[in-house]
Amino acid sequence: MKTFYQLPFYLLLASIINLASPAQGKPLSYVGGTMVMQENDETGHTLNVDYTFDPHFALGFYSKYEINQNEFWMAGPQLNTLLKRWNLPDGQGNIFSMTGAGMARQGNRDEPAAWLTLLADYETRRLFFSYESRFLYARDIEKSVWQRAYAGFAPYLATYDELNTWLLIRVDHHPAKHDHFVVTPVIRLFYKTIWLEAGYSSNNHVMVNWTVQF
Amino acid sequence: MRRILLTLVILTGLSGSAWAETITTTVNGMVCAFCATGIEKTFRKQPEVATVKVDLPRKRVVITTKPGKSLSDAKIKEVVTYSGYRMGPIVRER
Repeated sequence: MKTFYQLPFYLLLASIINLASPAQGKPLSYVGGTMVMQENDETGHTLNVDYTFDPHFALGFYSKYEINQNEFWMAGPQLNTLLKRWNLPDGQGNIFSMTGAGMARQGNRDEPAAWLTLLADYETRRLFFSYESRFLYARDIEKSVWQRAYAGFAPYLATYDELNTWLLIRVDHHPAKHDHFVVTPVIRLFYKTIWLEAGYSSNNHVMVNWTVQF
Repeated sequence: MRRILLTLVILTGLSGSAWAETITTTVNGMVCAFCATGIEKTFRKQPEVATVKVDLPRKRVVITTKPGKSLSDAKIKEVVTYSGYRMGPIVRER
């Protein structure tokens, strides 16, 4: 595999990008906690497993099978960093980065890949907003920038032991794809450490995402 | 009479030391159940802690210690900060 020897370089590059980010959203759980996240939408299928080893860092494995026009598979280790958190009396704001590097495969071709996602969110018990931007470089397989925003509200204020329900709108912007903008109404449900999200996009795709924390 | 008083003092002291303590603290930033689980689990790991209850509407965590055990303010602050939140005032009851 001609590209494997370049992997350390891309890992280093990804770390540098991460360190160069200004300061550090919820790809982290509590220290000692493990999160398994799985996403299925019009862009593909994602699996993410993270272990939080410090209040500001989680290390994990990220894998995605991309199906949006350009079909390929990518995987590699990922470092999630809490760059900045605002703990307010009635809300919480965060800035996170997710940096990873690994391999991308398309057909019989393998290329090194590196990615960086910056995520900012703000939530109260009633409102939720988030914005994220992802940069992916996988040489001749894919070079892309992608943006996503969520805005929503909780129709009722659940207690800790009740099912929490959120109604949201998700907007995705993929400048390099046919459907530049995709809008998805989403229902989000969570009970303690189990989290489920489902929606139906403006380009007629079902979206189902889930997370379990233990 | 002296003996009786002394016995009463010793018995009160002994029973007092075996009391459990209820500690209530406000946690700034604790706005969702998913996040609060981290605080609950981290407190449960402490050997002095018997029960932990999360009161999300009031952003409070109520900790009951095991009989005769206590948790210092510094330890509570450490757990809350380590879970990624900011601690508010602490109220203790026996």
